[in-house]
Amino acid sequence: MGFDSTEPEQRRRLQAALGAAQISTGDLWLYYFGIGGAVGEYEVEAYMQGLVSIPQLQRDLLAMAANELFTDHDGPRAPYSDEIDADDPPAKPDEA
Amino acid sequence: MIKKYPLDELSTALGRIMGLLLTEEKVDHAVQHLSRAVRDSIPGTIGAGVSLLDPHARPVSSGSTGRIVERADAFQYELLQGPCLTAWATEESVLINDVATDGRWPSWSAAVVRLPVRSVVSTPLIAGGEAIGAMKIYADVPGAFEDSTTGLMELFAAPAATLLAHIQTSEIPERISQSLQAALYNRDLINRACGVLMERHTLSEDIALRQLMREARSSRATLSEVSAAFLGVSPERPRGSSDGLR
Repeated sequence: MGFDSTEPEQRRRLQAALGAAQISTGDLWLYYFGIGGAVGEYEVEAYMQGLVSIPQLQRDLLAMAANELFTDHDGPRAPYSDEIDADDPPAKPDEA
Repeated sequence: MIKKYPLDELSTALGRIMGLLLTEEKVDHAVQHLSRAVRDSIPGTIGAGVSLLDPHARPVSSGSTGRIVERADAFQYELLQGPCLTAWATEESVLINDVATDGRWPSWSAAVVRLPVRSVVSTPLIAGGEAIGAMKIYADVPGAFEDSTTGLMELFAAPAATLLAHIQTSEIPERISQSLQAALYNRDLINRACGVLMERHTLSEDIALRQLMREARSSRATLSEVSAAFLGVSPERPRGSSDGLR
């Protein structure tokens, strides 16, 4: 199972946004479940660690969950898949 | 990947909450047993106790082997000083060779002067990097315990803390159940909006959801607000009687 070209970048920026807002994966998952998310908590955990791939719609729902959770926060936002240019190298490749 | 239905997740979430609700009763038994095991294992001990504390140093649950331990502990929480509170706050074991001459907790030492409490070891219970309480033993003679006793207590404390760590104050299940209720209400709202879109425009579920997501992004509203507006209902979960679910 391969990754979409945008997936690692989308995941990395979701992690950065969660880290900045200090939101746990468990809290993110419950909110994501509440807005219709279909992927289980363990898979989301595994996705966050880069161990599995999840469908684009579910990745975008996770991004939406994160962004709705940090409406009061000035930190980085979680990008949607159509906001990521697949040809762009990640900003800091060493950090991943 | 095995397809997992959202219902499985719901039962997991509910199971987690039920577990938390049940543990309060279980923990009282657990701390009680642990206190007895500690007393019986360490020679010279006349009493032992285990206390779980909340972040404001208020005891959440405690077990002890008798009245002496109970009273010596109660003085600590009343006076807000004593070896267990120090062990808990500093996350390091405390050894007192003689309560009568140790000057570290003057009010507490004065309060217990009439109790048969002269030697004390108190060890913090640390789980997940956080002190959740303390375990202590008392003896009625000075110098009953030494550094090796402290080491023994620490051996006991490590697995005990891990076992007791999932015991929470009663507000936590309530808080979780409120966020679960909110999640279920929103999920239902969004699913209903998807269903109406699917029926009205003969769309697949994914496409209906994508359409709502696009709408939410362009109007800078949340997905549940967009769904509620589309259905013509309130985005807020009704309060009052439905809160009786707790």
